[in-house]
Amino acid sequence: MRSERHPTEDLPAYGLGSLDETEREIIAAHVERCAQCTRDLAQFEDALYEAAAVGAVEIEPPRDLRTRIVLRHRGARSLGGPTWTSRIAQAFIHPVPLAVPAVLALLLVVSFAVVGMNRQQIDTYERALAGVASGRVVALAPTSANPDARAAVVIPDQGQPYLVVRLPPPPSGKTWEAWVLKPGPKAVAAGTSTAGDVFVLLLTTPLGAGDGVAITLEPVAGSQQPTTQPVLLVDRT
Amino acid sequence: MPDKADDVRLVERIADGDAEALGELYDRYGRVAFGVLYRMLPGPEAAEEVAQDAFHAIWRQARSYRADRGSVRTWLLAICRNAAIDWRRTRGKRTEREVTIEAAADLVSDARVDERVVSLIRAERVRAVVRELPVEQRQVLALAFWGGYTQSEIAARTNTPLGTVKSRVRLAMNKLRERLEEER
Repeated sequence: MRSERHPTEDLPAYGLGSLDETEREIIAAHVERCAQCTRDLAQFEDALYEAAAVGAVEIEPPRDLRTRIVLRHRGARSLGGPTWTSRIAQAFIHPVPLAVPAVLALLLVVSFAVVGMNRQQIDTYERALAGVASGRVVALAPTSANPDARAAVVIPDQGQPYLVVRLPPPPSGKTWEAWVLKPGPKAVAAGTSTAGDVFVLLLTTPLGAGDGVAITLEPVAGSQQPTTQPVLLVDRT
Repeated sequence: MPDKADDVRLVERIADGDAEALGELYDRYGRVAFGVLYRMLPGPEAAEEVAQDAFHAIWRQARSYRADRGSVRTWLLAICRNAAIDWRRTRGKRTEREVTIEAAADLVSDARVDERVVSLIRAERVRAVVRELPVEQRQVLALAFWGGYTQSEIAARTNTPLGTVKSRVRLAMNKLRERLEEER
């Protein structure tokens, strides 16, 4: 490698993240191939972020934040495997041969009055999940379509799996529809709900080991296959 | 204080798809990460949202972590900070919690430190080192770190020549590194 000048002057600012984009790219390219600058940069950043840890606000995170982070990733082995987007996309390509009649699940609308406050909805949602006596709980990840949405599949030791969902009421003429994502891949309709806020939706399609689950917005009668991108999804349960 | 080798093992487990390891990493650094985000964002809801995004980024990027490029604490807090800067950029909310020049918060604070992340003795040392810096150097560090401003933006906001800002950043960062590294 030809001799190259080390960016000694700008490396501290690079570590601080205060360079303009063009300068940043030049330094990044150099650091990528320079062991000495990599070491120097690590020392700048370790010192800076140690100071930042001392400068952080002393505040208690929400009690359930850890649970939500772990649940979101439990069973989500998507690193390198087929992603939910690809699975859903393929489900669009290969229509479900025989649609499950949209037998409405026993829509167990948890008796929550419509609450306008987000905090109340969050509390209600957490209480509903906390009440799960035995079984597994697998969180669905919200997508950019509705980052505030929450849902988890509850797979009881005995009985039918169900979803605990926190979503706003669907628009008029629409419904929330659950899908079980089978290998193939194909999406099989698994129940609809026109409820909003926090509600429970029993899955009308058996959930096999490793199946995924998604929720989309569909016409009120339900669809034979998803017609919109999911608002919530986990690619393996 | 978490052991550095333990931290690396946790990241390796996360890279293998172990969600419980992500929870353990959260136990170690979740509180300080949330504190960093809270300081950078308009309120607790935003901090909560970005914390989830940041831990998702940690989940996705665990395989690319390299110990020779810094500690897990640094890597994790850098991901959080970048997520906060992205959030402000995409939501156009930068103005909601601007770091004002008059009230340019110091890089460090007197708040209680999470001892699981930085010991009390070490925190005092860090505070002392930062406060030894001239006030104008502390100001550029705080504006750049907490405000997410580039040197050019700081120069414009503080009506200071760009060369002076660059010089302050360089001197402050070098001093920080030198003093904290020698006592590590």
